[in-house]
Amino acid sequence: MDDGRQESPGEQTLSFRAITDESAAPPPTAATEDESAASPPAAAGEEEAPASAGESPGESAEPEASSDESAEPGTSPEEPTEPEASSDESAVPGTLSGESAGLEVSSEESAEPEVLSEESSDGPEASSDVGDAGDAGASDPEEPETWAKLDEPADEEPDVRAELEEPEAPSDEEPAEPAEPAESAELAESAEAAEPDEPAEPAWLRELDEAEARAKLAEQQARAELAKTDKPEQPAGFLTLDEPQARVEPAETDESAEAEPEGSAAAAPEPSAWHFPDPQAERDLDAQAAEAARGEAAEATGTGKPAGGRPPAPRVEPLPPQMVAALTAALNALRESVSDLRFGLDLPGAAEARQARADLLAQLQDYVLPRVRTNTAPALIVIAGSTGAGKSTLVNSLAEKNISRTGVRRPTTGIPVLVCHPDDRQWFTKGDLLGGLRRIDKPSPEAGTGSLVVVATEKLPQGVALLDTPDIDSVVEEHHEIAHRMLDAADLWIFVTTAARYADAPAWNLLRLAKERGARLAIVLSRVQPKAREVVLKHFVRMLTEYGLGEVDRFVIGEAKVVDGRLPDHEMTDLRLWLAELSVDEDRRAQAVHETLNGVLDSFRTRVPALARHLEGQVAFRTELRADVEAAYMSALAEIDKATRNGMLVHGEVLARWQDFAGSGDLMRTIQFRKRGRSSRQAPERVTAFRSALRAGLESLIVAAANRAAEEVVARWRHRSELGGTIGAGLERPSDELVRHATRAIAAWQEHVTELVRTEGVAKRSVSKFVSFDADSLSLIFMVAMFSGGTVEGVPHRLVNALLGAESLRGIGAKALSDLRARIGMLFDEESMRYVQALDSAGIPDESIATRLYQASYNLEVAR
Amino acid sequence: MTAVTTRPGLAPRLTALTKIVELGPGRLDQKLLSEASTLLTRAGDRLKLSSEHTVVALAGGTGSGKSSLFNAISGLELSPTGVRRPTTARTHACVWGLEGAAPLLDWLQIQWRHRFARASALDKGESQLHGLILLDLPDHDSIRALTDTEADRLIGLADLVVWVLDPQKYADASTHRRYVADLAGHEAVTVFALNQADRLSTEELAELVIDLNDLLRREGVEHPSVVPTSAVSGRGVDSLKSVISSAVSRRRAAIHKLEADLRRLEQRLSQTMPVGQALSAPASVDEARRLGLTDALCDAVGVPAVGEAMENVYAERSNRWVGWPYPRWLAKFRPDPLKSLRLEDVSDEIRGITTGSVSAQAAEVSNAVQALADGLSVGMHPVWRTAVHRAARSRSSQLPKALTEDLTEVAPELDRVPGWWRLLKIWQYFLVGAFVGGLAWLAVGLTVPGQLPAALQLLGDSAALPWVGLMMASVLGLGALSGIASRNFVVLGASRERERLEREMRRRVAAVSESMVVEPVERELGRHHAFYSAMRGLAG
Repeated sequence: MDDGRQESPGEQTLSFRAITDESAAPPPTAATEDESAASPPAAAGEEEAPASAGESPGESAEPEASSDESAEPGTSPEEPTEPEASSDESAVPGTLSGESAGLEVSSEESAEPEVLSEESSDGPEASSDVGDAGDAGASDPEEPETWAKLDEPADEEPDVRAELEEPEAPSDEEPAEPAEPAESAELAESAEAAEPDEPAEPAWLRELDEAEARAKLAEQQARAELAKTDKPEQPAGFLTLDEPQARVEPAETDESAEAEPEGSAAAAPEPSAWHFPDPQAERDLDAQAAEAARGEAAEATGTGKPAGGRPPAPRVEPLPPQMVAALTAALNALRESVSDLRFGLDLPGAAEARQARADLLAQLQDYVLPRVRTNTAPALIVIAGSTGAGKSTLVNSLAEKNISRTGVRRPTTGIPVLVCHPDDRQWFTKGDLLGGLRRIDKPSPEAGTGSLVVVATEKLPQGVALLDTPDIDSVVEEHHEIAHRMLDAADLWIFVTTAARYADAPAWNLLRLAKERGARLAIVLSRVQPKAREVVLKHFVRMLTEYGLGEVDRFVIGEAKVVDGRLPDHEMTDLRLWLAELSVDEDRRAQAVHETLNGVLDSFRTRVPALARHLEGQVAFRTELRADVEAAYMSALAEIDKATRNGMLVHGEVLARWQDFAGSGDLMRTIQFRKRGRSSRQAPERVTAFRSALRAGLESLIVAAANRAAEEVVARWRHRSELGGTIGAGLERPSDELVRHATRAIAAWQEHVTELVRTEGVAKRSVSKFVSFDADSLSLIFMVAMFSGGTVEGVPHRLVNALLGAESLRGIGAKALSDLRARIGMLFDEESMRYVQALDSAGIPDESIATRLYQASYNLEVAR
Repeated sequence: MTAVTTRPGLAPRLTALTKIVELGPGRLDQKLLSEASTLLTRAGDRLKLSSEHTVVALAGGTGSGKSSLFNAISGLELSPTGVRRPTTARTHACVWGLEGAAPLLDWLQIQWRHRFARASALDKGESQLHGLILLDLPDHDSIRALTDTEADRLIGLADLVVWVLDPQKYADASTHRRYVADLAGHEAVTVFALNQADRLSTEELAELVIDLNDLLRREGVEHPSVVPTSAVSGRGVDSLKSVISSAVSRRRAAIHKLEADLRRLEQRLSQTMPVGQALSAPASVDEARRLGLTDALCDAVGVPAVGEAMENVYAERSNRWVGWPYPRWLAKFRPDPLKSLRLEDVSDEIRGITTGSVSAQAAEVSNAVQALADGLSVGMHPVWRTAVHRAARSRSSQLPKALTEDLTEVAPELDRVPGWWRLLKIWQYFLVGAFVGGLAWLAVGLTVPGQLPAALQLLGDSAALPWVGLMMASVLGLGALSGIASRNFVVLGASRERERLEREMRRRVAAVSESMVVEPVERELGRHHAFYSAMRGLAG
């Protein structure tokens, strides 16, 4: 990954092509066009100049150009083009031993200009050629329209450039090569100071190469073919190129960096004016260029690298199989844990957590797992942005085919559309990437949200696929979800926004997301009015820089008439070039892929624990609610306990019945002499009434306590959260069966006590000989004795004590009380079950999954 | 002002809203309540301010062309336009017809330097716009707007809102979800200007207008007025002007806006607290429920049991006074099991028990109160149900004590001994004496008839002896009879006493429950009724 990071700067420089930095732009330049405004500062110009100056007039022209650009578009464009080219190259081909290459170019230029001067006379044509060359070479033509205009008037100079390029083609890199050594020497000297030059040089080389390639194409098909065959090798060459650039960039001062972009911008316009050649041609060109580069590289690397003092950038090695296996295993474990994850409780944040879980799962399945398994797969570039930003138009234009519907209706695209080269089609139709989506061939209204349109076109380079997504900010909110899912599976993001939208909040939310995920990002600002260009770009770039995204690749597309769902080709050159570079340079692509993958894996470090934390929160919440139930019923039980001990029960009807019972003589009649027999039970109705009064008293005690407990539970729940209130809805009263159950329980308890008194309450031996008692009545007296609590000296106490003895009184009392408590406890358990059931029906979070999640994310880290 | 006050509907509905806001705290959702009071304040403020002016706000996303449209309508370059997003950060206002506008602008919190006036000279030919206050709002969807609620605030305050949409942004969630979705009922005070129409071909524009109309209808704006405009080419600006001017000249927009806002608020209120059957809920505690409560409370005190106990205890105790003494004496010779248990003194204590007082059982009292509240609050909104319960229980901690104290005053004195019991006891003893005398006579007459002194000759008279025997038998019979009779009298009196006692206790229980339970509950029921009446009034 380290390699990747090193390389990344190179790409960043690329990004500058499109949008010139404001800071860099000198005031005069501003006067002219934005891009021109972007024109490199003097320093940059100087730097460039040396590079080219080394050899020829071209160099001298360049410095001027930088300054000139602002003043004279015509002249400036050419020169800037050179720097741009350099930057482009640096970005694209990567590493031609940048310095040497650049030097070569400059030499070529110097040589060529004259030759080409003829072309310059041709004017427009020449410029057009140049443009093509630029495009073909994938030299970043940023080609804003303005530039295009400039180019035309400035034909002469462009011509010069074109000439340069053309001659180069013939001369190829070879001439350059010789120059390289010298340059390398220079580089060695100014390695860091000169760095700016170096990038520029590679760009030149590229352009030259491309130009050459074009020329060759025009002239020799054979060569083109060769180039194709060469392709595979090219990457290596590019890589080498990239490295020098990469290293150059870090060394470069901001100014130089800016200068380059400006230059590139300037250069771009010309090429942009021109239409693209066939992709095939492009490829050929690329191939050729690659060849050339290789040729150069072969030498350049030999010479240039040493000069640069830098080893070639290490290739991005595919992961070793055992690591892949370990990663896959760890990821699978993670996926299982995540898929087992359930957030049953609608706590605040649960919806987000569910979404996050779904996102994570989808990303694991759609992207991470397939990506880890085959990390050499084509790069998936997801185009996302606001509705109406022109995503579909962009895709159509890049693919030169009306693949995705465009229109004035917002939102337009509802089903994601994937475009790739036919050779890559297999990978996208059969592969696991975005495996959850149904593949269809063309968008149709009946295709649901789970579909993905896959279209193959040869217009796209191999190794990169474009995915047109629904918007992120329209009224149709499903679209946002689909877009985010697509972004989760992206190797690179292209974020499209417009001059009218670049300050929209949703756009910046997406940028924030990209930043958080560490995804490789490119930004396209489209629909830019020519006259607003400068201001808007400046402002946007400043916003991006403030946001920490100043280094991101940027492209500008002017407001242009969309014909047949496509933008004019000249608007697309830059992006095309970028794509082509990605396509050709496998390492760069792998780099981008890896970086994004790493970013995603990094994001798991926070996302997975966040999910686990939320789950733990749910578990804790549930535990709290259960504790509330328990506490409420415990306190209800304690309350009853207290009431049964402190005589509170012997009030009201119970008291009246007791008075009745005692005052009417029934109390005395309870105790009989044995010989009298025990049949003389009188007034059983009074005993019954007393018994039922006691029962009713106990019952009301239970019901009141249960009422309070139920209310308390619900109040506590509601206090905890809104969800608690929802779960507790309808539970603020005790169940309807409570009274019935309580009656039954108390009656049973009374019987139990009677039985106890009868069986265990063996009367004292001294007493039992001649006294018998009525167990029913005595048990009532016993209960009163029990319930009147503290007053140990009361009548009932003494009676029972005298009859049964203190010991058995204590024994029976303890048993009776604990039995009562147990019965009431069971009642309350039944009651509290209602709450537990309500909780359960709201969802039971599984605590063990949180542990598994932590474990899985730890294992993932280990595997990495 | 006059138009406002005479307008039927708005004033009573605002009054109803005042009532709701007054009764709301603790019962209505806090957010809704604060919205309601905000609306109330706003309505009051707006109706006090110039009714001659109509505040029209241009709202929309950044880059839709609010400022351009503002300038196009005003005809002056008042609000800076630009390509930088977002452009406008402060609200600009342009006033047609200055008099009376200043307080309104102050209320809108428009900064002085952003206020512009169309001089009357310029107004020629634009007299129909007289009274217009045009606001150019900042956007609501840029990153700047995340921390700035200016647009939000003024969209709420403006009488008429012109939503400036453009072909790129017309379907943005930021506009539709946050604002348009709430616009149902606001058709009269909402206009949609589809700006930047110059960027589209005629067919595209037509398609777009249809699409926008559909979209708005789907979101509940039933009759959206969509005006395609182009601030650049000037197309459609006049028709927008005429839409605005018709609203301005009618001077009704402020009222319509308030009405629409009221309606929206009312809908949200009635979503959380639907009027439904709430008004059929009892507004007071009816007689049956009062009776039920009194019964339940009497049970809690044990009134019937107290009565029964009194009756039984009287009967039992009267036996000692008015009963035939002989069985009692006989019983005394029977061995007392208590004595064998060495509990002789217990019988006194037992007598002591019966002197006990009346008391209420707390649990039953609370259950009774609960049952009343349950019965009354059936079908009520949970919030109100809780409120009724709370009201019912407001004094329940003092209730058992109050009942106990109140009833103890009338509690029967079970150890009371009426005078006639004593008389009867004397009578019984007199009869016993007579019997004993007769017995003596008989004994004397039979054993020593001849040895009696002359004075006692009569005793020896054997002829009298049968009469003596007869007398003795009749004395015994009389004692038994009078014992039975007086016992019946006792029982009769006791049951009469019991009835009186129960009546008295019930009366007292009812009085206590009236003051401690029913009154607070009725107050709450009254609030409930007033609240829902106001809700109905708000609905109009």
